[in-house]
Amino acid sequence: MRKSILFLNLLVVLGLVAACGPAPTPEVVEKVVKETVVVEKEVVVTKEVEKVVEVTVEVPAEAPTAAYPRNETLYSNGQQWGPLVGWNPYSTANNNAMAIANDQDSARVIMFETPYLYNMLDGKVYPLLADGDYTWNDDRTEITFKIKEAAKWSDGTPVTAEDVAYTWASHVKYNTSIGVGYKDYIENIEAVDAQTVVVKAKLDENGKAVNPLMVAAYVAKCYVIQKAWTETLEERTGGDATEFVADTAEDVVYSGPYHGFFWDDTKVVYIRDDNYWGQDASMWGKLPVPKYLAHTIFKDNAAGSVALAKGEVDVSQQFNSNIQLLWESYGLPISTYLPEPPYGIGASLPTAFYNLNSHGLDQVAVRKAIAIAVDYPTIIANAMTNQSATFEQVPRSLMNPTPGEQEMYDHDAVADLQWAGNDIEGANALLDDAGIVDTDGDGWREYNGQKLSYVATCPNGWSDWQAAIEVVAAAGKEIGIEITTNYPEWSVYQTVVTKSDAPLPEEGYDIFMMWSQGAGPTMPWQRIRCMLSSEFVGMAGNWSGNWGQYSNPDVDALIQAIPGETDPDKLKEMYTELVRIYLTDIPSFTLMYRPQSFHAVNETVWTGFPHEGDGTDPPVPPLNCTDGWSIACLYNITLVNP
Amino acid sequence: MIIITGGAALKGYLKYFLNKLLWFLVTFVFAFILNFTLPRLMPGDPVRAIVSRLAQGLSDATGVQAIYEQYTELFGTNKPIIEQFFIYVRNVVRGDFGFSFSMYPRTVADVLKSAIWWTLALQFPAIIVGWLIGNTLGALAAYLKGGFDKVLMPVSIFISNFPVFGMAVIMLVIFGVVLEWFPTSGGYGFDMIPNSSWAFIWSVIVHYQLPFWSIVLIAIGGQAIGMRSMSIYELNADYVKYARFMGIKDRKIVGYVFRNAVLPQITGLALAIGTMVGGALFAEIIFSYPGLGYTLYNGVMGGDYPLISAVTLIITVMVLSANFIIEILYGIIDPRIKAAQAD
Repeated sequence: MRKSILFLNLLVVLGLVAACGPAPTPEVVEKVVKETVVVEKEVVVTKEVEKVVEVTVEVPAEAPTAAYPRNETLYSNGQQWGPLVGWNPYSTANNNAMAIANDQDSARVIMFETPYLYNMLDGKVYPLLADGDYTWNDDRTEITFKIKEAAKWSDGTPVTAEDVAYTWASHVKYNTSIGVGYKDYIENIEAVDAQTVVVKAKLDENGKAVNPLMVAAYVAKCYVIQKAWTETLEERTGGDATEFVADTAEDVVYSGPYHGFFWDDTKVVYIRDDNYWGQDASMWGKLPVPKYLAHTIFKDNAAGSVALAKGEVDVSQQFNSNIQLLWESYGLPISTYLPEPPYGIGASLPTAFYNLNSHGLDQVAVRKAIAIAVDYPTIIANAMTNQSATFEQVPRSLMNPTPGEQEMYDHDAVADLQWAGNDIEGANALLDDAGIVDTDGDGWREYNGQKLSYVATCPNGWSDWQAAIEVVAAAGKEIGIEITTNYPEWSVYQTVVTKSDAPLPEEGYDIFMMWSQGAGPTMPWQRIRCMLSSEFVGMAGNWSGNWGQYSNPDVDALIQAIPGETDPDKLKEMYTELVRIYLTDIPSFTLMYRPQSFHAVNETVWTGFPHEGDGTDPPVPPLNCTDGWSIACLYNITLVNP
Repeated sequence: MIIITGGAALKGYLKYFLNKLLWFLVTFVFAFILNFTLPRLMPGDPVRAIVSRLAQGLSDATGVQAIYEQYTELFGTNKPIIEQFFIYVRNVVRGDFGFSFSMYPRTVADVLKSAIWWTLALQFPAIIVGWLIGNTLGALAAYLKGGFDKVLMPVSIFISNFPVFGMAVIMLVIFGVVLEWFPTSGGYGFDMIPNSSWAFIWSVIVHYQLPFWSIVLIAIGGQAIGMRSMSIYELNADYVKYARFMGIKDRKIVGYVFRNAVLPQITGLALAIGTMVGGALFAEIIFSYPGLGYTLYNGVMGGDYPLISAVTLIITVMVLSANFIIEILYGIIDPRIKAAQAD
């Protein structure tokens, strides 16, 4: 027995000593690759390989046996969390983050493509599958556009107007989330001829489009899926709606430049289709530069940050705490879209909502006092490590910090309503004037004889949000309002706050954090609607917004009217009015600005990523080189050492 | 001294065996019911979480409601819990654990299949190696005493009280980030695809080291402390003194002592092996190592009943079986237990 123990110990120790060499560097790996290619020629060996692989990890049928060279591969992080589930573009449950993000404001287009690409920086859409701009008819009830002659599916057949029409019909027929989400706005999509598509808006009782914005959004946000393949899927699933979206669709036909190459529990790799139609002069005129796109599956942000620092990740879409240290202190070739804080372009507004039924929170004075007392610079410094614009730089409204949205309201008209925080004096004066004072001398103010005491909350483990909520709670102490914090698990939290068909619980959810919409073709209208519209009050599963259940008929009327309005001056007037009401009523208050996607790049292997003033026209937005117009980045990057 | 005839011994042993088997079955039934019930008593509605993924940004109340009902129907969460239980029993008997809620439309079997090998390959050798090294060191400390014991004992106590995540982070920083001897994340090279080349196998070995040792080191400490105490106790036992008087060789005596001292340690080993499918959560998270621990953790966070029930059922069966086998073996190995049953 002793001997065997000793032998085992020896083996283990040897393993440790032997493994003590440096981790393989990219150069080492490159050499290995060349050797493996030689082995592949020996057919007998390759067969054995496949058998071994089947035992240990799941590998797609045509699993390649060679690695992919570092200098042909662009690595990302922050998109794929956990192993992927499927390839079905009709489903939203594929967890296939790099390939499928259908109905996203800037659609992810490496594998499936939309007629148009949205550019968050200039707010415009650019044709992808479509040929030229779309046109509205005079009544703004129909959009017409053409499909490019060159556009082809991966099986070589042309993309046609019939594919666009059939995609829509299938969404409706099988009740997919896109079907459910757009059928109130789109009546039908028809193919006039092989190339021409007409999108007909749903009309209201006056014969006007219910919402022209949503109709236009569809063509920039939703994929075109092949009719022939959809019919195969229908046949396979027997017309059952649940089966239809649950199919993993590994045989899917696509039109984009990349498709699945290898995936398991540790990574996802996509390979370029060298017959991609987009190399036609009518689109990009060439193939995207990296032959492979790869995404290692990290289990938390910390692991992803380490990999970014080590040069194992080229494009990082996750939150990297104190990102500036990577170049300031460690001198690494890492950069962000902007060289200085806030480092990126803010797009969404993480917001604290008030439970308007809580005792005292029905009073504007209390809501405003808390909101103006909060120390926002601390939130931005701690929770976001300065990766958010401050409220001095971008005064609060309902708009995100992009120049396009900032122009949509009259800043001077609401300047006296905006606040940048830390106004303890003002908050105390406001409460005193409203007669909300401490009458029993316990240090806390009372309203109608009852102490003002609240719980501020957000999901447990959402560390940046928790840091922000702590700062909100600290503000309460300064103004005589007791605010404690509590962090339920997400599974509980979301069940409570999205149940808008009943008042929020009396305790535990007085001030709670949720997100807002980011940048997209329907913004800022859609964001404002989600933050303020009373249409969501009464929904059993409210995943849209207005979770504090605010209701104001004037606001609802404005939200209803904006989509049909085309006069820019009138629009600006309406948006300004909405901002004025929002900053007066304060049903919720924004705590920070957050980018659509975080974007940091390590230029050890690749260079030429988008950054402010990079000279691209139209400007390429910092969205992982995969979303909307930012995919142009894949055609612009070059190797540092070719 | 009790003299037992062959027939009586066999009868006594059969009684012992049946007794243990009965307890095994009773415990299994109760554990099975708890496996089903406890996850479902957690607050929060997991189907709502799925719908949240499907319906983000949707503004159509009836549409969201329709999707919600479609999934409660599919997962059967709209049925009374008693009915759900019997459906569950029927399916489990067939080996069908249903859909994973958090990774729908993947099935639980599929999720487990892809993750469990990583966990077993990491945990099983780590537990065995930790156990072997720990017990060897513990026995040596008790036997050699002196300087070896004085160093080993405090070090063991120090290491065994480290939380696993603390050890993992320390090893990550020292060997991964500062010295750069080992990679910091993944199960194999970030730029590789599984194949049978040496480069790949080497990459797996290199990636294996940090998670492996972060588990082993802690196990060594705990095992060494336990084995040392047991061995000291046995070394002072009468039979050892008697054997020494008889002039039996030290080697032989150490053999007796080891056999007696190791018995409780074997129970610990069985339990450790039984619970290993629960995964090395912290090692997996900190080194982004694939495996079941993190999958289960996410399942718990997302109220993924079928996944939690399946994993806890596997743990239950493994712990019960390990215990059962150990007790049966004890009956054979340890004459004291056999004698007690024969009374």
